[in-house]
Parts: sequence; C-alpha cells; structure tokens
Amino acid sequence: MSEFEALCANDGELGELRASIRDFVTADRAAYGWEPAVDSWLAKWDPAFSARLAEAGFVGLTIPAEYGGHGLGHLHRYVVTEELLAQGAPVAAHWIADRQVAPGLLAYGSEEQRRRLLPRIAAGTLYSAIGMSEHGAGSDLAAVTTRAVATEGGWLLNGTKVWTSGAHVAHQIVVLARTSPLDPQHRHAGFSQFIVPTDAAGITISPIQLMNGEHHFNEVTFADTFVTDGDLLGEVGDGWHQVTAELGFERSGPERILSTATLVFAAVRALAEQEVDERTAAEVGDLMARMISLRQLSISVARDLADGKDAANRAALVKDLGTRFEQESVELVADLVDGLGAESAHTRRLRDLLAIARLHSPMFTLRGGTNEVLRGVVAKGMGAR
Amino acid sequence: MNELTQLVDDIGRRSFDARLGHRGVPDEFDAALWRHLEETGLTRLTSSQAAGPAEAAIVLSGLARHAGAVPIAETDLLAAWLAGAAAVDVPDRGPLTVAVADAQTTDGRIVGAAAEVAWPHSASVLLAARTADGLHVTVVDDLRVVDGHNLAGEPRGSFAFDLPVDRFASVRLSAADELVRRGAWARCVQTVGALDAAAELTVAHTRERRQFGRPLSAFQAVQHSLAAMAGEIERARAATALAIAAATDYGFDTVQTDYAVSVAKVAVGRAVEPVTTIAHQLHGAIGVTREHRLWLATMRARSWVDDFGSTAHWARRLGRMALTTDEPWDLVVSCPTPR
Repeated sequence: MSEFEALCANDGELGELRASIRDFVTADRAAYGWEPAVDSWLAKWDPAFSARLAEAGFVGLTIPAEYGGHGLGHLHRYVVTEELLAQGAPVAAHWIADRQVAPGLLAYGSEEQRRRLLPRIAAGTLYSAIGMSEHGAGSDLAAVTTRAVATEGGWLLNGTKVWTSGAHVAHQIVVLARTSPLDPQHRHAGFSQFIVPTDAAGITISPIQLMNGEHHFNEVTFADTFVTDGDLLGEVGDGWHQVTAELGFERSGPERILSTATLVFAAVRALAEQEVDERTAAEVGDLMARMISLRQLSISVARDLADGKDAANRAALVKDLGTRFEQESVELVADLVDGLGAESAHTRRLRDLLAIARLHSPMFTLRGGTNEVLRGVVAKGMGAR
Repeated sequence: MNELTQLVDDIGRRSFDARLGHRGVPDEFDAALWRHLEETGLTRLTSSQAAGPAEAAIVLSGLARHAGAVPIAETDLLAAWLAGAAAVDVPDRGPLTVAVADAQTTDGRIVGAAAEVAWPHSASVLLAARTADGLHVTVVDDLRVVDGHNLAGEPRGSFAFDLPVDRFASVRLSAADELVRRGAWARCVQTVGALDAAAELTVAHTRERRQFGRPLSAFQAVQHSLAAMAGEIERARAATALAIAAATDYGFDTVQTDYAVSVAKVAVGRAVEPVTTIAHQLHGAIGVTREHRLWLATMRARSWVDDFGSTAHWARRLGRMALTTDEPWDLVVSCPTPR
C-alpha cells in the first residue's frame, strides 16, 4: 500500500468512494442546479438534497448496517464530507444529526433510541439541533443552568439555550442540562443529556438573526417541558463526559478548513483564465500550501482518532489553525481577484461569495469552542499549564 | 524505526553536549560526531545501505534537532547519489558535499562559479555544473574558496572553476532538477527538526523562568504564543510527512515528490518566521546571546529555508500547478493532473 495515497486519503476503498461521491455531486448539481456555497454546512439547508444524498448511500456512513447505516469508518466519512464541502453542497439539514448525534447515540444511546433514530438519520430525514450554549454559558460551558428535575415517568426541563443552529427546522434538540445542583468543587459533575422533540409542550423557539438577516441561530426556551425517561441520552450525571469525549472529530474535521473553499477555488479558476504574473502565482501557491498542509494535518489527526489514539491536543490545533486560515483566506482572495475587472465573467459571482464569506467569517473561530479556549487546551497539552 | 530514532538522538545529544559552550561563527566541523555516524553506518544510508528516504529523514531530523555540525544531507542524499548516477568515483568514507553551479561550455572547457557550497573545507567536493545541454559532474580539489557562512555559522563557500570538459561525466539535465528537489526535501526535514528543538527549549524556558511571582507559562498570553508555535510546527510536519512518503513510495524523480516537496517547502518556509519569532520573544534577551543555545536552532531554521530555492520560489511553482490544473481541489487532494 502506498503511504502517500493513504496520507492523501485516496488509498483503496477511499479512492473509490471519492470517485463515487464526486460523480454524485456533479450529477446532482447538474440535475437540480444548486450553486456551490460558502459555509454550506451552516447556511445551506436543503432537505431534498439530504434525502437524495442518503438515497445514494452517502449519509450515516459510520452507522452500523443493523441501524440502517453503512458500517464504514471515520475516514470514509471524512472523504465524503470534504468532497461535499469542497463543492459547497447544501448539507446543513442532515449535518448535525449525522456528524454529532449519530456518534452520541452509538456511544451512549439506548437500544430503543438507536432503533428509533439512527435509521432516520441514515435516511437523511432526521434533523437535529444541539442545545449547549446559554446566555451565561459560552466558552465556559460548565456554567450551563438549564435544569432537568425528575418527575413521574420522566423529567421537567427549564431554562434557555442560545445559538441553537437549525432548531426552528429540526425535529429534535439534544439538550445539555443540570440534573444535580452545582458543586463548585466539581463543576463538570451533575450534567445529563436529553433528546427533546421540538414539538414538545413548553418549548419556545425564537430566531436570532445574523448581521444580514440570515436565520440559522435560535433562542430556545424550555418552560416545564416534559420528556420521558426514554429521552435521557446516556447516564444521569455523565453529560459532561458525553459532550466532550468525541470533540476531537469535529474539531479536526474538514469543516474547519474548507468553509471558504468554494471562494478560494472560484478565485483560482478565474485567475487561471488569464495571464498571471509571478508574484500573483506565488500568492496562489501560498494559499494552496496552507490549505494542503492543513488538510494533511487534519487527516493525520483523523487517522489517529480512527485508530483509537489520543489526538485531542492536535485536534484542537487543527481547529485553531484551520479556522484562522478560513478567515484569512477571505481577504487573501479579495486581494487576489482585485485586478480581475468588471469584464471577467467571474467577477459577479466572486463578489457574491466574498460578501457571504465576510459575513460568516467571524463565526469560523467561535463555533465549537472559541480559539482562545482551544489555545489554552493546546498549551496545557504542551506542558505549559 | 524507533530504534533508529533513539540511536540518532543519542549520538546527536552526545555531540551537542560535548561541544556546548564552544559553538561559534563560523562553526567547526564535528569530526567526533562524523566518526560516530560512520561507526554506526548512518552516513550513507540511502546511497549504499539500501535504506530509503524514510530512514534518511530520521537521521536528518534527529541530527538537526541537536544542531549537528556535519554535512549529512550533502553526503548521502546529494553527493553520493549524484556521483552514483554519473558514475563518478568519490571516496567511500568521509563527508562529501556538492557544489551546484550554472556554467558555460567554451573552447572545450566548462566555466562557471559555485556559491553557497556547504562545508567546502571539511568534505570532498563534487561539482555539479549545469549547462544548456546537461549536468556535468566531477570531483574538484585545490579550490580557491571564498569563505563564508550562513546565519547559524555553518560554512558556506564559493569558488570559480574553469576545467576541461573531458574531466566531467555528464548526466541528463533532469538530474539537476532532482538534485535541487532532494536538497529542498532534506532541508524541510532538517528544518522541522530545528523547529522542534526551538519549541522544546521555549516550553522549558517558560516553565522555569519566573516573573511577577509565577512562571511565564502561567500567563495566558504566553500560553497562546506557545500554542501558535505548536500549530505552525505541526502543520509543517504534516506537509513534510507527505514529502517523505512520496519520496519513499515513488522516488525523488516523480511528479508526486515534486508536488509534495513544493507543498512542504512552502509550508515549512512559512512556519519558520512565526516559530523562531515566538521562540525568541518568549526567551527574552537571553535568547539572542551566543551563550544560549537557542540560536543554534533558530538560525539554522532561518538559513535552511532559503537553501535549494526560496519559499517564494516554491510558492510560485505550486501556484503555477494550481493555475494549470483542471480543478484546484484536485491539487489539494493529491498530485495534480496537468491540463
């Protein structure tokens, strides 16, 4: 086996899978006419696309066949994910369910929950949100105050979550709540996770608009919302461990590098159609080297995680480096295409992509844990804390 | 592999400790280190030991970590390889170096000047003179070398030559490109080793040094700088790992290795500035002194990135690849297919 091919995630089955997802994306785009988007994993919610993607066998890759999935590995999922993001495909509808909820169910869910939810996730028809942050609990997630109190046959939830992406269109929200009072000596103890249907009584979902009016985020309030014991995910009191255990995958995945890839590639393609001076060629090379080396780092972390090795520290590094690259790529591209001129057929489209990228780029280094917090994690891993 | 890593680390550390306090500008060839390397069979791994680039990389990075003052890359990967390719006899023991030069053929003589020749007084010099029609190779001695050194004090000489054509053996012109690619590959591996050393020293210093009643590493601003440093190094390491895999799997004279070396040379080159800057910043003034060992790592990294093509040179090369493929994403995912 070629190590080079393996480091590029092109070896054996992965290469075949890459070819087939590419064929699917090309054909689907030709048939349905969607445009490659910037930050499509947050912004492009398209249930029909999710269903077609699942029908073709590209959702629920890591879910075992007995639950309707494909029983493949994390690297398979990596390849499909990066191909979708590189083409800016509209993946937001099934994204959170496939990326975070399915692994959580497989690791901690009851058999009943798995049988009920995983087949729908693999079919691309179950949409989920995740309720973690609150007004007083951002980077300091342990400050969560939403609480669940045991009652006859279940639990009563009270509290307010914010920045809950897609809650207004999702079927369920996976909520982190306190099930024991805060113990200042053990702040991470006493949390539990609940799978809460969005149509449960006592839930109010209100939009939090982005600067330009886009609606992805929500404020979600629970007022004596009742959930059954069957909606508890995992063990009572184990919530903190459950939400932090698998962070490595989402911190180090292709979505931390490729949120602006469609913009970068559109710029390179536009430049390729004209004479490019040496200095501009070098700037393109610098941009590509950053993306390629980040992808190499991301894949090496993914390979370690898939092998069960501890790569938490390097995963945090990928998120810090990758999301800063996403941010910086926006202005680098703006400079690169500055000379294209109004006559270029690409100018209008590039301008539209740039506008969205500039609006979304502040989020790149915030979501999934701010980079400041991640750098603390890295420094600790280096032995500095 | 782990055994080899350990062996190189032991040899490198021993030589570093033996010469601590005696390092200067220019630096002196470390004859004891060379002897240890020859005794353990590590000086000609790829050229005569049937080992591959992966093993060579372990030796290069391990010695770079300890600022070994020997032309190890020049001997094995460059001079011994080129001598073999051109069927030129070189001594089978002792250090070698290579002098790369552009030259002209006039009246049956090859005339030119070589610059930046590493360790010209400590090694047998293999001249690689590139003309319009080929690469011409010969061993040269009795040189009138104009001496110099790089920022780390490693000797770098230059000399002019005017020699009869029949002294040279000629090889295909593409060997000249492979020579530069091998050199760039080696410097990437070595530079990551030097950056590792800089990071290790910096973490240790920030844990030991106390100001305002606590170690520097307790300050969040310092922690964030350390994390930034680690990020740049890991990214450079990942790119270099791909270049090592390419050379191991396919050899140096392939499009895969050309691609991966281009990526690595840019990624490593762009890491050097932030990593060395942070290393010096966190060391404070002691880090810029001769007596402190930091410069042995940072100035090597600073110098090496300019060898065998600058970062900008390789960035242009990679940029042209991106601008001439059908699909830039293909360039990211693997070797590009030219349009």
